[in-house]
Amino acid sequence: MKNRLKALRAERGWSQSVLGDHLDVSRQTINAIEAGRYDPSLPLAFKIARLFGRVIEEIFEDDVCADD
Amino acid sequence: MTPEQATCRYFKAFVPAICVYAVGTVGITWLGSRSLVPSAVLYMLALVPVVAIFLAFWAHWRFATEVDEFLRLIQIKGTLFGIACVMIVASGWGTLETLADAPNLPVFWLLPIFWVAQSAATAIISKREGVF
Repeated sequence: MKNRLKALRAERGWSQSVLGDHLDVSRQTINAIEAGRYDPSLPLAFKIARLFGRVIEEIFEDDVCADD
Repeated sequence: MTPEQATCRYFKAFVPAICVYAVGTVGITWLGSRSLVPSAVLYMLALVPVVAIFLAFWAHWRFATEVDEFLRLIQIKGTLFGIACVMIVASGWGTLETLADAPNLPVFWLLPIFWVAQSAATAIISKREGVF
């Protein structure tokens, strides 16, 4: 699943470790999400959305919708 | 809890448990082969490695619950691979023993097969997922 996490993180000047600390997950998890290798759970996706003050759809792009 | 802290806690419980398991297994095998203790005592002593195995799995379970969801998924995938290897060896070799008179494979080896397969799979998946 494509996402804007890396761009949003860059806007705030945060490293992957700092973002991981904010979300209570590891740097490796942030790296995997940014690279599109791992889709976060719904609770984590909501947590990410809340942290950046966005709705989930503004951060994560649904592949099905993108294909339409 | 950071993955590093969880890993540290894991090894602090897992390594002693596996050491007790290895020493206990070798010791009991040695005692049994020399008939140095009565069978009843041997059965009691055989519980030592069993408890150690339980502690090793408990440490693994705790580790999987302490890391975050992505790292937990890697652990689950590795564990599933380990279980699959054990089931394939057990059922495959069992069939050979039953139908083709293959030599007996002691079930003792299933646990080492599990840990080797689980560890290798977890390491490979972690590497592929960029964990290290």
